[in-house]
Amino acid sequence: MNLNKFINLKAFAISAVAFAFVAGLTSCEEVPNSPGFEFMPDMYRTRGLRYYNQYVTATGDTLNAARIPVSGTVARGFLPAIPKGMTYDMADNLRNPIPFSPQVEKEGEVLYGKFCVHCHGDAGKGDGKVAAKLPGPPPAYDGALKNLSEGKIFYSITNGKNSMGPHGLILDQDERWKLTHYVQTLQGVRNTPVATDSTATVTAPVAEVKEKK
Amino acid sequence: MIKNISRLALNLLMGLVLTGFLFSGKALAADGKAIFKQNCAVCHAMTDQKLTGPGLKGVMDRVPKGPWLHDWIKNSDKLIKSGDAYANKILKENNNATMSVFEGVISDGDIDAIIEYLKKGDEPPVTTVTTTDSTTGEVATDAKGGIDPLYIILAIIVILAILISILRGVRNSISSVTEKASEEELAKPFWQETKEWMAGHRRFIGVCCIILLLIGMRGCWNSLWQVGVYYDEATDKGYKPEQPIKFSHKLHAGDNAIACQYCHNSVEKSRHAGIPTVNVCMNCHKAIQTGPKYGEKEIAKIYEAAGFDPKTGSYSRSKENPIQWIKVHNLPDHVYFNHSQHVVVGKQECTTCHGDVKSMTVAEQKQPLTMTWCIDCHRKTEVAMEGNAYYDKLHAYLKDKYKGEHMKTFTVDKMGGIECAKCHY
Repeated sequence: MNLNKFINLKAFAISAVAFAFVAGLTSCEEVPNSPGFEFMPDMYRTRGLRYYNQYVTATGDTLNAARIPVSGTVARGFLPAIPKGMTYDMADNLRNPIPFSPQVEKEGEVLYGKFCVHCHGDAGKGDGKVAAKLPGPPPAYDGALKNLSEGKIFYSITNGKNSMGPHGLILDQDERWKLTHYVQTLQGVRNTPVATDSTATVTAPVAEVKEKK
Repeated sequence: MIKNISRLALNLLMGLVLTGFLFSGKALAADGKAIFKQNCAVCHAMTDQKLTGPGLKGVMDRVPKGPWLHDWIKNSDKLIKSGDAYANKILKENNNATMSVFEGVISDGDIDAIIEYLKKGDEPPVTTVTTTDSTTGEVATDAKGGIDPLYIILAIIVILAILISILRGVRNSISSVTEKASEEELAKPFWQETKEWMAGHRRFIGVCCIILLLIGMRGCWNSLWQVGVYYDEATDKGYKPEQPIKFSHKLHAGDNAIACQYCHNSVEKSRHAGIPTVNVCMNCHKAIQTGPKYGEKEIAKIYEAAGFDPKTGSYSRSKENPIQWIKVHNLPDHVYFNHSQHVVVGKQECTTCHGDVKSMTVAEQKQPLTMTWCIDCHRKTEVAMEGNAYYDKLHAYLKDKYKGEHMKTFTVDKMGGIECAKCHY
């Protein structure tokens, strides 16, 4: 018997086409690493230097546009507040240039919620969610750190302390001082309830801290 | 006099309590563990791993015998200044970083409890076996997965095609045996047969062609809209590139509840939300050296980038090697977008444009980021003007301008939010 007749050519051709169609569909799988089709990529990926772009130099090297700034560059608001050579023990002498007000305290609270709460916890007891994963939780503000001076709080935020990393690079000077105000509230040293009118600038509690030392 | 007596009594009581603790060594060690965790574990590990301070494995064999360790914990500064040889040696070994003074923070009894705990060390952990079990189970289920339905269809088609061709072959061979006359017709090549059939059904073929053409055009038109768009609304799938480090937003922002702004800290100050620099990673990962899923493997990549040696706890500038993160949300170069404008002034949530990042293991684009999408949002979103200091002046002006009119909503497009030059310049 003829093999050509046994396997019908027409049926075979039709099934081949169907097979190719479905195989084509299955091969259109996702390539998550590909951003998709870009018509005229120059419109999407600039040749000019933009912060997060990579660019190719004349010599063919691939470089990131984000570079280390020229040495001595100071970002706006990041002027060093701590004199060179000052150690943690000398930090008691630092004074908060921002006078206390409920407004400042509120701003400090907002900053605390973004930058501190995951380790230090809502009330500063050192019970944040990340603290449980640290080798040791941070001490409580109203416990072991109750008598920490504003200068030392500021110094610790800026340069880090023990397991805590330095936050002087991601918070500018004013923000760190505002945070210091809020940390002092959590310490519980500000025994007077927060004044509602801003005219009553509270300088007394700060003096009180100094007396306690 | 009475005061003195009561103080004496109190001291006696304290002494009794302390000696009681001393006699029950186990209770003291357990107590010491708690005190250690509270006061020392921030800087010292019980292994030989160096955190801020040196690891304390075998510390009792290292330090001088006698009250040295007690004095050191109490006031290390004093001990160094007294010229103690071993104290100064330790200071030098740790790059002149001093240990906190605990005099006045914890009592002598507490220090004894800590030393008792240091002598005994930790009991071996027992939970390791179960954790490995659960991970292998997970891998197994992952490998099983689900079979793509398309493959099933493919298999069915193949089987059907084979069946049909065999059946037809059988039928033809039977008919060819019975009717010799029809053999001529059967011998016709396939293509000629089709051509003859097509010639007989011209109208049908024409309609089919037109329908196919229209479907094709529609498909082309649709796919043109996908050019340069990294998100498909139909499948809810977006650009999801594999990053150099298996960083999980779900773990960091979801489970650990770290605010988005902690890492993307320029979002309120700058046009860019900012990809965090390695020092932001190191704020936590200096101390947290193993992850829940990949262990030390992925976190080691941070150390490699930062030039950090976890064994000695020191950084090396020459070993720094930046992480090349892949940007997920790309806008074309010819459009200007500013994060601080939308977040600080516009009071928009991160999730509005970026989706529920807190549940994403790998960051994925969840909005099309096309111009239609921008304009749509600007037409729908009401301006948060009340109590927004940025708009105080404009609010007063607009109130005056539209005094007579009854305006229910004031959307972004009403104050020039869809002007071309707002974004394209």
